[in-house]
Amino acid sequence: MDKVVAHTDDLAPGEMMEAEFDGRSVVICRASDGDFHAFTNLCPHQGAPLSKGKLCGAPEPTDEIGTYNYKNEGNILRCPWHGREFNIKDSGRMLANERQKLREYKLSVEELSVADGNIILYK
Amino acid sequence: MSFIDTDIHERVSYEQLLPYLEQPWRRYITDCHWMQEKHMPYTQPAVAGVDRADARLPDGRPAGSDLGFMQEQLLDSNGHEYGILTGALDPSPSSMHGWYEMATALASAYNDWQIEHWLEKDSRLYGSVHIAAQDPAAAVQEIERVGDHPKMVQILLPIDDILWGDPFYHPIYEAAEKHQLMIGMHHNEPPIYYGKWPRYFIEWHTLIPTSHMNQVTNMIFSGVFEKFPRLKLMMIEGGFTYVPFLMRKMDQQYTDLRHEVPWVKRMPSDTIREHLCFTTQPLEELKKWELMQIIEQMGSDQIISFSTDYPHWDYDSPERALPPRLDEDLKRKLFSENARQFYPKLHKGGRTDG
Repeated sequence: MDKVVAHTDDLAPGEMMEAEFDGRSVVICRASDGDFHAFTNLCPHQGAPLSKGKLCGAPEPTDEIGTYNYKNEGNILRCPWHGREFNIKDSGRMLANERQKLREYKLSVEELSVADGNIILYK
Repeated sequence: MSFIDTDIHERVSYEQLLPYLEQPWRRYITDCHWMQEKHMPYTQPAVAGVDRADARLPDGRPAGSDLGFMQEQLLDSNGHEYGILTGALDPSPSSMHGWYEMATALASAYNDWQIEHWLEKDSRLYGSVHIAAQDPAAAVQEIERVGDHPKMVQILLPIDDILWGDPFYHPIYEAAEKHQLMIGMHHNEPPIYYGKWPRYFIEWHTLIPTSHMNQVTNMIFSGVFEKFPRLKLMMIEGGFTYVPFLMRKMDQQYTDLRHEVPWVKRMPSDTIREHLCFTTQPLEELKKWELMQIIEQMGSDQIISFSTDYPHWDYDSPERALPPRLDEDLKRKLFSENARQFYPKLHKGGRTDG
């Protein structure tokens, strides 16, 4: 099945929104490069609604104690409860534990005009 | 399944306390901008500071500050039978390092506000008596004043830089027994170095159980539960997975060093099983066999009580925090029966009669 879940001009880069697909809540994220990504809207830990969290960046791992390199602004989805970090540009992989990922949905954008288009999720 | 939540944080603003304060206390807030100072070096950790990001009110007020929103997000959606309010520890009168007169006035104001705006507005909510424990005589007066309220179930003592077993504080426990109140202890300041601060918040949050261990050890070896046989202690927000270690360690020490504390007449682990209960949050992720092993080592499945810590960032979901497929009997104990047994006033459902 496929369904239009949002329009491209609903979201600026670094923003996200909740939508419904196949009877489930999904979160549509727009990354800093303008691309769209869609994931299940439940944190795999305790089921918090991810769309109420934040799209932000994160300090990358460093070899120097006390050094913070903040990267990936707009591409890290943080859970609204326990703050777990997921990289939307890396299939929703968790930063602290790469064995865990969010469930990602297949998505395409159908251009309607130069300015906006439909965001379509596929199953 | 019925559910009794043993740690819910309602939040007051200093402005809301003004109607409950006499002068000159009121003017210290309005004219002198009094607020309880903390020395937090770090932003608190998650997306919305100390709170769940989705618990902040749509109009911008802080999480935990509105009964209607709490009912909708927590009490109704989880089917709470009862919830026990533990305050936001701001202000935290028992943590003030002086000016106990102001602390005492704030505790009274807080209790009156809590009764009027929460306990008497929702039949499910029960409360904690706030006191300024550094002045035990004044604290006892406050317990005498509000302790008989049918929905006050415990006296709240913060885990800060005071160890509460000292005989100086025993008048508070005497008053607690008299009014069928338990003692609830919740960590407040950083758990390590007592009064100092860890370099990173992640250290603080990892080591919360160590401050709980300090209190349990101090209370038991100070003989509090020998002297006050009806008193019980709820250790709030330290989890319970440390308890098997502490039981074993205390029993070993007691076996060797009993002569130092001859007023202690039972194995510490027996005292823990009889007088203490531990709220679950913040739970580590456990498999069922791991949880069952911890319970077996505690020697009791009746001293753990589920708590959410709503609306804080490390909230535990009643649906998702414990491992799946637990036996129904155990779930009933964890989610309601253990708390019901622990707090005698819950039996009465908030009624003053009988």
